[in-house]
This record gives sequence, structure tokens and C-alpha cells, in this order.
Amino acid sequence: MSAVPEPWEDDERLLRALQLAVRDAAPPPHRVVEAAKAVYTWRTVDADLAALAYDSAMDELAGQVRSSGPVRTLSFSADDVHVEVEVGDDGLVGQLVPPGAGRIELWTAEGQVAAVTADELGCFCISPRPSGPVTLRCRLDSGVVIATEWLPL
Amino acid sequence: MLDDPPVATLIVAAAQGDQRAWDALVDRYAGLVWSTARGYRLGDSDAEDVCQTVWLRLVEQLGSLREPQALPGWLVTTTRRECLRVLRLAQRARPTDDPQELDLADDPDRTAADRDLLAGERAEALREAFASLPQHCRALLHLLVADPPPAYSEVSTRLHIPVGSIGPTRSRCLDKLRHCPALAGLLETEAAQAYTRNR
Repeated sequence: MSAVPEPWEDDERLLRALQLAVRDAAPPPHRVVEAAKAVYTWRTVDADLAALAYDSAMDELAGQVRSSGPVRTLSFSADDVHVEVEVGDDGLVGQLVPPGAGRIELWTAEGQVAAVTADELGCFCISPRPSGPVTLRCRLDSGVVIATEWLPL
Repeated sequence: MLDDPPVATLIVAAAQGDQRAWDALVDRYAGLVWSTARGYRLGDSDAEDVCQTVWLRLVEQLGSLREPQALPGWLVTTTRRECLRVLRLAQRARPTDDPQELDLADDPDRTAADRDLLAGERAEALREAFASLPQHCRALLHLLVADPPPAYSEVSTRLHIPVGSIGPTRSRCLDKLRHCPALAGLLETEAAQAYTRNR
């Protein structure tokens, strides 16, 4: 069985399909391209990546339970540290696991917008809720530095 | 005309601090990310946020990409997931307990929407496959899909290749396109989706 739709086995028809596909794609606005290039300044060289391990917004089951309310839960994992976050309408509440104090910075693509202290239980809160993709840069008192995967809240 | 640097070279350079290599990656693939996001019918502002999230993710993963040739696929997959996230977040913002909303099987407009979706997905797969072709194939096919298509003599002049080589190169490049990983399994995916809907 062919892996592509049968008409595409013919050169002329494949070329025609490609022509339509390429024409359908409007070029990105200049500001989108420039914004993507500017993103390069956010390369972190000193922080470990804490990857997104769980997002309740993407959880099929949670999506079907409408009464779960407006709170969204996120979980990020680096090698030795996890960051649990609850996002509400007016801000976010987070905890470092295992518990430990540190400094938490919230960055958007425009730069740092907040800096708070996590207490000895690793708890912190940040308000208001930012829009667009953000990252949390956590500098633990233990010396560990992690940055959460960029994500819109 | 020199070939553009291969993707692997750009990724390695960008991972090591070369802003111009990063700019070259953006120039090459920004269109793919943007058109993928727009295919999900997101508004301009949401589509821009998705694009920015995708590029931010790439910049933090430059050092750990397992297979540079798979970058177009990674970009498309990541863009799709982030579009889905935006759509889900928008859904959560307008809560409803109406079970009807959760089941689209009875939607009379579904067939037309499915057809658009199918055509859109095929076009998206073709664009992704095209983006992964070697530079000389992309340059040639890009000229050949122009409207009206240029005479082979003009193609020969612009690409600095003999007229006699254009036909055979066109065949080879189209065959490469046909066998791109981005198109592999397209029919299987469509069959599986049809099966799921008609259960």
C-alpha cells in the first residue's frame, strides 16, 4: 500500500499539490520573525531545564470534568527538583519539591517581571497572572538553578 | 551558488552561541511554524504567542536535539501541541456543564469541516516535507511552482544548472518529496481518523 495519496504518485499532480500548499501558506508577519530571532537572548547557560511533566489543561480526563473550576495545575521536573504550580485567575502559587528556600524569578519574552522568595517549605506566590509564554527561574539556596520549560499560563 | 549551511551545522553553531546561525534557522522555518499555527484557526495574537513559545522551546533545547534532520517535524509537532493547549485553555475560560458540547458526532457541519481539515493536514504535511528537502531541491521546486512557471532556460540561468539537468533533477526531487518522513503514514493516519469518527 502506498504511503502517500495515490494522485501524488504522479509527478505533475504532486507538483500541483505542492504549489497549492505553498501558496496557502501566508508568510509570517515581519514582527513574528523578528520576535523569534530576539528569543535567542533567553538562552540559559547556567540553569537546568525543568521540563513540563503535567498540565491539567491537556489532561483528557480533566477536560471532561467541567466542574474542576478555574484552577490549572502544572508540574515541572528537573533531575533533583520538581516545581508544582497552581494557576488561578489572579496569579500563581508554587512549591519546590523537595522543600527548600530560594529565589524565584518570573520571566516573559520581554524580560523579568517578578522576583519572589520561596520560604523554607519551598512555597511561593506571584501575582498578577502574566500573559504569553513564561518561565520560572529558580535559584535554590542549595545552589541548584533550574528554569521551567517556557509555557503560557 | 553555494548551498545554504545544512540544518545540523546551524543547530550546532546556535547551541554554541552564534546568533547569526539562530537567525538563519528562524529565516528558514518561521514560515512553517506560522502556517501550522494558522491552520488551527487561531487569531493573530494567539498564533503569535504559539510561535513565540515554540521558538523559546527550541532555544532551550538546541543542545539536546537528537536528530537535526527531524527539526521540521519537531517544529510542527511542538506547534500543534501548543495550539491545542491554547484552544484547551480558551475552553476552560468559558466553562459549561452542557454534555452536548463535548460530543461533536451529531454536528451537521462536521463533514465539510472534516474535508477542510483533511486538505489542511495534507497541505501541512507537504509544507513540512518540502522544508526538509535539501536546499537544491527546495530552490528548484520553489521556482517550478511559480505562477506562471518559468521557462527551463530561465531556471537554468537563475540556478546555474544546465537546462538538460532540470527534468531529471525535478523527477529526483519530487521523488524525494514523495518519500519524506513527513508524508509517511499520511494515509494510515487518515484511515485511523476516519475509523475513529465512524465508530
